Amino acid sequence: MNDATLIRKSLFRKKTRAILLVLSIMTAFLIFAVLGAFSRALNAGVETAAADRLVTLNAINFTLDMPYAYYSRVAGIEGVEHVTHANWFGGYYQDPRNVIQAFAVEMESYLAVYGELVITAGDRDTLLNQRDCMALGADLAGQYGWSVGEQIPLSSNIWSQQDGARAWDLEICAIFDAEDEDVPANYLIFHYEYFNEALAFNRDRIGWMILTTGDPARNDAVAQAIDAQFANSPAETETATEAAFGQAFLEQVGNIGLILTLVIGAAFATILMIVGTTMVMAINERTKEVAVMKTLGFSPPRIFTHVLSESVLLSLLGGLLGLGLAAGMVTAVGGALAGFLPGFRMTSDIAVQAVGLMVLFGVVTGLLPAVNAMRLNIVDGLSKD
Amino acid sequence: MLKQIGAVTMINLRSIPQRWGMSLATVLSVALVVGVLLGFLAMANGFRATVNGTGSDDVAVILSSGAQAELNSGLGRDSVRLIEVAPGIATDAAGDPVLSAELYVIADGRKRATGTDANLPLRGVGENAAALRDGFTLTEGRMFAPGSNELVVGEGVIREFAGFDLGETIRLGANEWRVVGVFSTGGSVFDSEVWADLGTIQNLYQRTGAVQSVRARLEDPAALDRLKAYLENEPRLDVEASSEREFFAASAGGTSDLLMFLGWPLAIVMAVGALAGAWNAMYASVDARTREIATLRAIGFAGFPAFVGTMAESLLLALIGGIVGAAATYLVFDGVSASTLGGGFTQIVFSFAVTPAAVIAGVTLALIVGAFGGFFPAIRAARVSILRAQG
Repeated sequence: MNDATLIRKSLFRKKTRAILLVLSIMTAFLIFAVLGAFSRALNAGVETAAADRLVTLNAINFTLDMPYAYYSRVAGIEGVEHVTHANWFGGYYQDPRNVIQAFAVEMESYLAVYGELVITAGDRDTLLNQRDCMALGADLAGQYGWSVGEQIPLSSNIWSQQDGARAWDLEICAIFDAEDEDVPANYLIFHYEYFNEALAFNRDRIGWMILTTGDPARNDAVAQAIDAQFANSPAETETATEAAFGQAFLEQVGNIGLILTLVIGAAFATILMIVGTTMVMAINERTKEVAVMKTLGFSPPRIFTHVLSESVLLSLLGGLLGLGLAAGMVTAVGGALAGFLPGFRMTSDIAVQAVGLMVLFGVVTGLLPAVNAMRLNIVDGLSKD
Repeated sequence: MLKQIGAVTMINLRSIPQRWGMSLATVLSVALVVGVLLGFLAMANGFRATVNGTGSDDVAVILSSGAQAELNSGLGRDSVRLIEVAPGIATDAAGDPVLSAELYVIADGRKRATGTDANLPLRGVGENAAALRDGFTLTEGRMFAPGSNELVVGEGVIREFAGFDLGETIRLGANEWRVVGVFSTGGSVFDSEVWADLGTIQNLYQRTGAVQSVRARLEDPAALDRLKAYLENEPRLDVEASSEREFFAASAGGTSDLLMFLGWPLAIVMAVGALAGAWNAMYASVDARTREIATLRAIGFAGFPAFVGTMAESLLLALIGGIVGAAATYLVFDGVSASTLGGGFTQIVFSFAVTPAAVIAGVTLALIVGAFGGFFPAIRAARVSILRAQG
């Protein structure tokens, strides 16, 4: 009988107990992995932000717009590589509840600024040359089952046309996606000109501008130059990096990170207590046995290793099951959620973190019983009934 | 039999201190499960209470067609004139309709807790606005003077955002404002708003003549249908009316549902973990007392009292856990102020509310954990063989 067999045997000496412990550890890591994936998806916007990409918004608030003329003025500022502009369309399809994120943009420069978006060359030509074309994100296309060539009437809950109509007829000319799965593809873009010329009110205004500087080191200088350009005008601007903007928006929703941390912490504390006390008890039960092993010549370090390996093994067993279950769950619902929460999937960094925690967890719960077993005095141990 | 059950139960309960490690772990883990559940329910309930408390049945909200939220809506001066003469709207002593045309823009406020900016609704209102909010009272200061750049702020805003205290001057966008009053609407959504004169807002934000919404006092809740019929048949109008209650219920549903849907599954998954803990603790309890139970059997006790005794121990531990969890949540969370992004793209300030119904749900969950956790160990206790008495 080698050490591995010995560890395995003592781990499953009480089957029900071992299964229950595995179950509870599984729970903790299930929660950890699912919430981890969730929090990662929420932060995807911050993480996928290009380092040299800036956003220029109305300084009062991002819901207010600015004159169209700002666009060409920003384009002329030194250090600006590409600049594009966008308007929030307030889009929905047929029923106001089918909300669709849609932006009216200057198409060519938009694709230049968001270089990570992939469109086939043929589609790109049609998209740029046909005025009622839109480019559809792959996730959105999947959600509604739309494909290239279809005509979609896209309604707006904000804007109306001069004839009172609230829907713009658009043709799907291209479907875009990105190599990095975290880049959102759950929205659509169409030509600003086509949007603007039909507007009943608020014509020649743009919502915000997005620009690249080519080098993150130039960000501050460019941002300052832009904001100085419009200081003391009716629409002052505020320019920040894309990441800072995404972070600020997330914070408005509330402190999600803190809530997730608290929940994961509570789950871990619960399981730690259960597993910890059970391990102590399980080793206490075996006091006599440990004493016998020592009498037979097992060295204290070897006994220490046995007990510790037992708890680490238990932790890994439960934890890996939980991680697997979480991966299954996230994959199952990830597709359905792609529209609202792109990037909700299990990644290797979550898995690596989880495995690290499993080992740590096993060590923490096994340490006290292992030290006790190592220090056990043979005479005391044998005399225990 | 009853006497036997009583005796065995007392033996079980009195011996808990001998197994304090496992027992304490069970109690604490159940407490944490109940705490997480109640935390989420308190958030969902607090949010819902704030938003539902806002809706009145005899106030109509009129927005442009399809807008759904005030921010998306736009109404011209002509539309407001046509709405003023609509049937079903109550009139005041002078015979004028009680309605308020309002325009709201979003300004950045600085949160006290994090120091970060968050969207605050800055609402331009006329003189009827206060009359159209049930329970509106000025708690400090006075109302703004028409045409001035004075603000009155809701209580929720003062709680969550810095710089809005009475008498202070604050810069919102390009303009300076002076805070001259604080109002309360009894914890409704409006407590998260800042109000100023409609004309001033229209001028400063270049929206001359434009409003977003019209609120009107109805003669009675049934008058809403008459008003709707008029608005629909008037060809010069492209607007929709709903009662204020419907309006807020529609915009709040999503957030509180999300919290509920997040809270319950989490609590149930965690409860499975705690269940395993309770189960373990009870098996340990039965194992430790095997000889004692067998002795009791040998002197004539039946198996059933042993079952009841173990179940009672398990339920008691879970109950204590449930109560500890509920009490801790109540002490820590009840009344805590929080804010999140609401339907109108602005912050809604609300307070966590630990409600009796949520506490009952939490303690019930704890007892379910106790019942399942104790069941199989209790069966084992009932089946202990008399022979084990010799150990």
